[in-house]
Formats: sequence, C-alpha cells, structure tokens
Amino acid sequence: MSYNGGGGYRRRNRDHDYDRREPVYESPEQKLRASIIRLGEVDGDQELPRLVEQICETTPINISYLSESVRIAVTEQPYKIPYYAALTRLLHDKPSSGEDTTATSLGRQVLEDFWKGFQAYLDKLSWRDTRLCVHFFAHLTTAKVVSPQSMFDLLKSFTAVLDEFGVSHGRAKQAALCAVEGLIMSGAEIKAKTSANVSEITTSIQSYIESIGDNKALVQPTVKLYPTNDPIETADEILEAALAAVQILNSSDFAQTSDIVLQPYTVSPDFADAPFDLPSVLVPPEVIELDALSTDTGEDAQVKKEEWPDYYVRLFDNDVTPDPTTPVGYAIRAGILDLIDIFEINRKECARLLLEFPKWLPHGTFKPRPGAPPQEPVAGKDWQLESTVIETILGTLFLLPDPQHKTIYYIALITELCKLSPSTVGPAVGKSIRKLYGLLADGLDVALASRLIDWFAIHMSNFGFQWVWKEWIPDLDLSLQHPKRVFMRNAIDFEIRLSYYDRILKTLPEPMQNPDNRVVPSEAPGPDYEYDDPARPHYDAAQTVLGLLRGRAKAEDVMSHLESVKNSLETTDSDTNTDSVIRSIAVQSLLHIGSRSFSHFLNAIERYLPLLRNLASGSISTTGVSNLEARMDILTAVSDFWSHSKHMIVIVFDKLMQYQIVDPTDVVSWAFTHGVERIAGSTHPSLSSLQWDVIKSALNKANGRVVIARRKVSALRKEADEKAAMAIVSNGTSMEVDTEVKPDVPEVPEVPEPESPALTTALKAFATLTREQKAALSRTLDGFVDCLASATNPNPTAKTVISENGWHNRANWSEADWVTWGTWGWYRHFCRLYSPYLRNYATTLGTVSFAKVGNAGDPAVDTFRKIWNVTTGQDV
Amino acid sequence: MSHVVQPLDQPSNYKDSQARVDRQKQHELLSKSTTLYIGNLSFFTTEEQIYELFSKCASPEEGGGIKRIIMGLDRNTRTPCGFCFVEYYTHAEALACLRYISGTKLDERIIRCDLDLGYREGRQFGRGKSGGQVRDEHRTDYDAGRGGWGAQAQRLEIERRREVEERYADAQEGPGAVAGGGEDWKQPEGMPEKADLKRGRSPDDEDESERMGARARLDEDAERM
Repeated sequence: MSYNGGGGYRRRNRDHDYDRREPVYESPEQKLRASIIRLGEVDGDQELPRLVEQICETTPINISYLSESVRIAVTEQPYKIPYYAALTRLLHDKPSSGEDTTATSLGRQVLEDFWKGFQAYLDKLSWRDTRLCVHFFAHLTTAKVVSPQSMFDLLKSFTAVLDEFGVSHGRAKQAALCAVEGLIMSGAEIKAKTSANVSEITTSIQSYIESIGDNKALVQPTVKLYPTNDPIETADEILEAALAAVQILNSSDFAQTSDIVLQPYTVSPDFADAPFDLPSVLVPPEVIELDALSTDTGEDAQVKKEEWPDYYVRLFDNDVTPDPTTPVGYAIRAGILDLIDIFEINRKECARLLLEFPKWLPHGTFKPRPGAPPQEPVAGKDWQLESTVIETILGTLFLLPDPQHKTIYYIALITELCKLSPSTVGPAVGKSIRKLYGLLADGLDVALASRLIDWFAIHMSNFGFQWVWKEWIPDLDLSLQHPKRVFMRNAIDFEIRLSYYDRILKTLPEPMQNPDNRVVPSEAPGPDYEYDDPARPHYDAAQTVLGLLRGRAKAEDVMSHLESVKNSLETTDSDTNTDSVIRSIAVQSLLHIGSRSFSHFLNAIERYLPLLRNLASGSISTTGVSNLEARMDILTAVSDFWSHSKHMIVIVFDKLMQYQIVDPTDVVSWAFTHGVERIAGSTHPSLSSLQWDVIKSALNKANGRVVIARRKVSALRKEADEKAAMAIVSNGTSMEVDTEVKPDVPEVPEVPEPESPALTTALKAFATLTREQKAALSRTLDGFVDCLASATNPNPTAKTVISENGWHNRANWSEADWVTWGTWGWYRHFCRLYSPYLRNYATTLGTVSFAKVGNAGDPAVDTFRKIWNVTTGQDV
Repeated sequence: MSHVVQPLDQPSNYKDSQARVDRQKQHELLSKSTTLYIGNLSFFTTEEQIYELFSKCASPEEGGGIKRIIMGLDRNTRTPCGFCFVEYYTHAEALACLRYISGTKLDERIIRCDLDLGYREGRQFGRGKSGGQVRDEHRTDYDAGRGGWGAQAQRLEIERRREVEERYADAQEGPGAVAGGGEDWKQPEGMPEKADLKRGRSPDDEDESERMGARARLDEDAERM
C-alpha cells in the first residue's frame, strides 16, 4: 500500500509528470486541445497569438474538434471566457486554408460549430453550460463578431421563459440568470448599435420577482415570524441582486462593463466583416418524468431541488467584500459560484483556483496578496479575496432549504483553502464564525444554526480544535435555551463525536469545563444500563437476562426466560406495567451486550432479531398484533440506555428502522411524545435539534424506501418492455422480406403482457411504502399541530413568540419561549424541506391534521396555516 | 466529466493484493462498489467517530446510509490496527467520500479513502507479520496514534488505549462473525399488511389523540378521500 498524504491525484500541467507509469502519447490534436485548455495560465495576452499560430499550423484542422475544445474550455473554465472570445476573434482574421482568403474564416467556422454545441446544451436544459455559452456570445458581441441584435434576441428568448404559465422557479431562475449575465457583458454594444429596448429584459425579470411573493419569507436566513415589509438586511436574493446590478448598469448605458470583466479582445482592430447572426432559439419545455409512478391514490412525489428563492447570507461590510447587488459585486459572486459548482469534483483544485481568481479580473479588484508588490488601491474596489471567497462559499452552504451539494463538500472546500493559505483564509473563517454566532441572537434560522454547528465541529476537527471559546464566556449568562447556549452545547457535543470527551474538555476555558454551567456533559458519552445497580428495581431479573445474552443463548431460550420473568413479575408486582418492564429489560440488556461499538450493536441485534420483532408486536415468544405502545417502549428503552449519547440514539433508531423493528412513523411519533425534552416552565411539547434529527432521519428513511421501490419498478418495467420489443422483433423477422406495407397482413395483436410476479411484488411494495411515507409525514404534521396550533390545547407561548413585540422582547425570553420559537423554526423547515412530498399529499394530509387546528383569527393558527399553504402551493 | 482537472472520485491504484479476480473484473466491481477502505486511522479511533464523519456523505433520502463498519484488527491481539471498511447502501455515497472526506482529518489524522471490492470474510484482520498492517511493519517514525515505537505513548492516549484494547477481545472469526447491517425494506413475511392491522383514524377521534402516543394512521382516510 502506498500512501502519499492526501488522495492520489495528480495535477495536470504541473511538473509531477516524472512519475507517470506509462508515457502517454499525445496526438497533435490532443496537444492542441491541451494548449487551448491551458490558455492564459501564464499570460493570456501574450499566449493568444502563439495559440492562434499553433492552431493555424495544425493541418488538416478538424473544425468540430477545435470548436469542441473551445466549448469544453468555456464551460469548464468560465473565468477564462474573455480569452476564448479573444481567441475566436483572432481566428476570424485567419482564412480556413492557407491561400484562399475569400473562404469562410477559421473563426466563423468555429463559431458556427460552437453554436451547434450550445444548441445541444439548451436542448438538454443543461443550464450552467447554456449560461456560460451565453457569456461567450456576449463577449463576442462586444468584440463585434456577433451581431448585437441577434444577441438581444437570444437574451429575450430566455426572458420569454418567465412568462410561461406555471413555470417552475428553478427554470425561471436559470433562464433569468442567462439573460442578466449575458446582458451585463453585452449591454453596451446592444444599446449602442441597436434600437433594442434593454428594459424589456429588466422589466420581465422584475415582474417575475414580484410574483414570487410569499415564498421568500420561508427561506431567508434570518427569521421574522411576524408579518413585515422590511427588507432583509442579512442576505440578498440572487435574482433580486442580478436585477439590481443590471439596472445600475443600464442607467449608465453599461459604461462600467470594462470595470467588471476583462475584455482582451478590445486590442484587436474592429472587426470589419459582417457579424455572425446568432440563430433564433426557443428554450425547450421541461422534460416530464416518464417513469413517474402513481400510487393507489394517484399521488407520486419526486423531489426537485432549486424550487426556492436563493438567499445568500452577507457576512462582511461592502468595503471588505463587494456588494452583490452592484454590477461588479454580482459578477464576482457569480464567477465564484460557478467555480465552486464546476470544481466540486476536485475540492483541492477548486481551492487553488479560487485563490487564483483575481488573475481573471480587472486589476485592482482585490487587494494584492501579502508579499506581492504593493499596488495603488483602486477607488471603490480593493476588496479582500479570502473574505469574499469564504462569504460566497458559506452563502451557498447556508441556502435554504438545502444547499446544492452536500454540506460536507463546502466544509471540505473551506478546509482546503485554509490549508493552502492559513494566514489569509484563517482570519476570514474566524470572522465568519463570529458573525454567524452573532446572528444566532437575531433570528438565524434553526436549520442554519444546525448547519453552522456541523461546519464548526468538522472544521475544528481538521484544525486541532483550536477555537477561542473564552470570548463567549459572558454568554453563559443567557437562558439555557438561547440559541447561543444551544450552539455552544451542541457544537461541543459534535466535537466530542468526532473526537473524544477528554480531548475536547482540554480545549475549553475553566467556566465552560464546569458541568454546572451546562456547556459540557458531566461525563463522557457512554451507556447507562438501568439495571447495573443492585439497589435498582428488577436488578436480579435483568441480570439473568443479561447473563443469557452474554452467553449467546438462543433467541427462543431468551424468550421463554423473559416469559417466566414476566409471569413472576405479574404475581409479585401487580401495579407496574409488566409488559413495559420486560421490554425495557430485554432491550437495554441487548444494547448492553452491544454497547462496545457500532458493530457490536449490529451483531447483538442481528442475533436477536426474532426477539425484537416479537417485542415490537407486543408479545415475547409469539407474534402478536401490531402494538404501538410496545414500539414506543422499545424506543424509550433505547433513549434511556443512551441518554448520555444523542449520537447513539440516532444511530440505533436508524438501524431499528432498517431491520423493520419499528416504522419511520413510530420514530416520528416517539420524537413528538416520549422523546420530548423536559423544559422548565413549558406546557407543550417542543422540538430541539436532536428531536428534529430523529424525525428527519425517519422521514428520510421513509422517502428513501420509496425511491428504492420506484427504481425497482422502473427497472422491471424497462426489462419487460425490452422483452416485449425483442419478441416483436423476432416475430417480425419472418416478414422482413416484404417491407412495403401490406394492408392485408394482420397486425401483431396487442395483447398486454401479463405482469411478471416480480413486477407485481414490486408494485405492491411501492404502494405500501408510499402509504408509509404519507403516514410518517402526516404524523409529523400532527406533531407540529400539537406543539403549536392545537384547537383543544392551544399553546399561548406559540402566539407570543411570533408577535413583533414578543420578538423585540427576546432578551427577556424564558427557556419555554426559546424552545417554542425553535419549534416554529423546525415546522417551517419541515414544510419547505419536504414540500415536494407535502404538495402531493396536501389534500389528505391537510384535511386530517387541520381538523385539529384551532380557529382562524388566532395568530398562531393563522401563521401555522399560512406556512402550510405557502409550501404546498395553495392560495393563501 | 471533466477535461480540466482529475476528479477525486476515480479509483486509485490501491488494490487488494489478495483479491482473486482479474483486473477487468476488479474494475467492474469497483465501478459499483459501495464499500470503502479507510486507511491511516489512529489505533484509538472508534467506530462511532468514523460513523459520525462518514454519515456526512450518506444519502438516506436516496435510499442510502451507512450499512456497517468493519474495524480492521490485529490478527493476534484483536485490537484495532489502523484501518477499517465503511459500507454504504449506494455507490454514490462511497464516491462522495472520495471527493469530500479522503485527505481530511479524523481524530487529528489525515485519513485516506479508497473504493474497495467489498468486504470478504477474514479481511478484517491485518496482514502484517506481527498481526497488524503491513505498513506498520516497515514504519520507522514515531506515531503516537499507531502504537508509537513502544509503550511510551502520551498519557491521554494510554487512557484511551485501556478501553480500546478490551473492546474487540471478543471478535470472532468465520461466517457470521460480522453483522450485515440490515438489508433493504422487505414485505414482512407471513404477516398481513400492517396497514390493515392498524385502525384508521378519523378526525373526530379527539379523545384518543389526547393521549400521548396515539397517532394518526390515515391510510383508510386517504383512500376514502
């Protein structure tokens, strides 16, 4: 085994090539592609003429290969697009074949072929590639190679999407960004050379933005639960920022464009020939999922991301990082976002490219690197690169309901940046953490607070758990349930999960080490077997069970022993619920023998699955009827046993669902009832982030099962279709001789193939699982009703914490106030995160749960309904 | 697909030297593999620590998750020897680890992830002469997390070691020694469908819903609507 310290990747274009095992033969074409991709890595302006020469020297030249190379370069290195536009401009001066100067120029041929590739991206609705090609055309418009009128028409075909009836937000957003970004880069030329009315584009986007309305409040990073028209100050929405940026540009006839992007093609003499007219396009409609299945009630949910407005949280002042609602700020953020997205496949390269980003921007955009020759600061610019990069990454990480990629990608990317340049990135990270920690007191969304903890713990785990906790000591005076206190507690819990108790304790200042301050638990997270102490009730009985399990007794023997324990308990102890006691003894003893590690736990429960199944069904040695109380007892036994380790509770519940001992719905039910934390002064159940983690894991399990079942059905159907097609083909072979249609030839009768038994089973499973999915979602909604908006047992706190006055009085909030506010947050998150499912089940779920909701006019009830209506897309 | 940089989720040149399948077959297996080999672990790192980090790449909403973790053990002493296997339910999750976790730290060591052909019985044990991993046979540096040179590990590490050394003393060999972790959902055998057993609930069952634990099963309601 060879170990080379961090992933066996090798950079291209670097001097590591000596250890290549096999020499790689490169054809002249491959060499050419490599040169095109590498363009600009040293000095773009100087490399351009050389590259043009190299292209002209390659004979015969394969135009489609050449244009494909440019297309790859444009869509995978968008920061270099100005140089590819310049290259294409220069190629317009070159005839395609040496002597004949009247023939179509090389550049025009490349452009024509490039267009075909663009059309293919558009047909696939490959939005990022489409948008980056629009950048390319926009630069070529400024280079006078593309006709400005046709560019404007292209942009207009994107804004046409915004007027489509029922357009999805994701589609509208992507189309609008194509239009805006294209306009930013080509607006000057369009306005100067055509009579086109650029405001048609901005108006169209503006009216789309105004139509989004109520969705916005649900995905802003800081929450206001009371109705307000104040604009949010902590974040900006991407479409709104784009619109603001392009409006500023428009008002000055796009005079600042050269301030925003490089335009290396402007040194070329004006292009004198007729410009290229971009053909007109129509953005194709969205593909309808063909293998969508319907359940017995005609509902099927498939998750589509990107259906919410994108609010990017702002962490720094406008003089530190550029304001994304200005043209230059928007362009910089858009450029960084594309880098983050494209290089998701290699976070190390991504980090390197992010730190090299200023190279592709007009001089003076960012402060020079430490050690670089000083430069005269450009007025209004001179921003900090690292802060800008970190702010943009965190902005993406903190999108609601979910970031585009997994959370861990953004975390790992920040880690790489810190490793590359600790002295400059480190401080930006530190400031970001402090800023976000500060927002906790001002309504940072609970889901984002959780994400912040995730990031914090993993980041610290990569950097020696070095954090200056000292500065937060004064916050120990806050309410125990204040978001800052919750942050400290949970961040430390998560650090301990990644490390271990003693190690993390050492990183904390004395007041935080003191368990009385409730920041750290009083002991390392370990098991707590209720029957360890001879003084405890049922000690003897539990020990005998434990003895059998330790001795690996057969499941049947354990069961019969439990029966006899139960019988004797019933005679001696008539007032206790013997069933519950037996379940607790059996489950805790089983967990006890499996408490050494996750694998030990798996071994223990796999060995005694029959026992667990019987217990879950309400009996011991026989299979009884389904029994909710029994399953609640099992889950409670788990949470008692692992009361010092929230982590283990989530892990064990997950496997109990996996082994089908309990259903996701049971777990949800438990979290809203038995699993509710006791909060001082609280009259109603509330949710903490632990309960939410338990619920989320249950809902994801239910949803994941439906995904698997759907996949299985699709695969079997495809198989059946292929078989049927084969049958037709083989039937048809005999008739192949007469290919003309003969009306008298009887057609192959359309007898529907009987469903294969496998398909029948798969369809049945799918139906069962969608029903369970619906039940789990329904139970969750019910749970939230009980917490916040019950008709029979209204929660007065739920009303006060959402009022404007209540919120402004939060400095005086009690624990109960804070947990109720948090529960509102989780309700909102539940609705927006699962909205595709909830939409499909809206009628049935809503009818049942809302029957229990109180009367309109009660602010809690109204807010509860409004959130539901917005996320399920119903009229408010 | 990328033409500009090498994606991190390509299988590396690590291979199981004792695998008894040819290269092409190995390649095929790797392209679907749901198992990762994790290397350069501290001997003290627990499965729960591993679970915590690797759960960040799990996609339960896609039907995935961590199926099981198999700790690599010293053949002779039955103590962790610095590697493990993490098995997911889906291939995509394993690839995500190559992109996001491999090369980052766990328990303050930079760990390495590789796609693996899949766990086979016996692979949980080290293959070095002394029972541990081969790499630790030849290592000449001092590595507190991997047993140091000898016994002079730091005080804290000694504390951890005490627990760890006993943890796997009961590790078994042979078939069934390692748990499966639970398979995909199956229709329970010989049982009528659960939905029929649980009484459907209608909105007017108020009294029942007042009791904690009562819950809605609205399958029947759903069908009626």
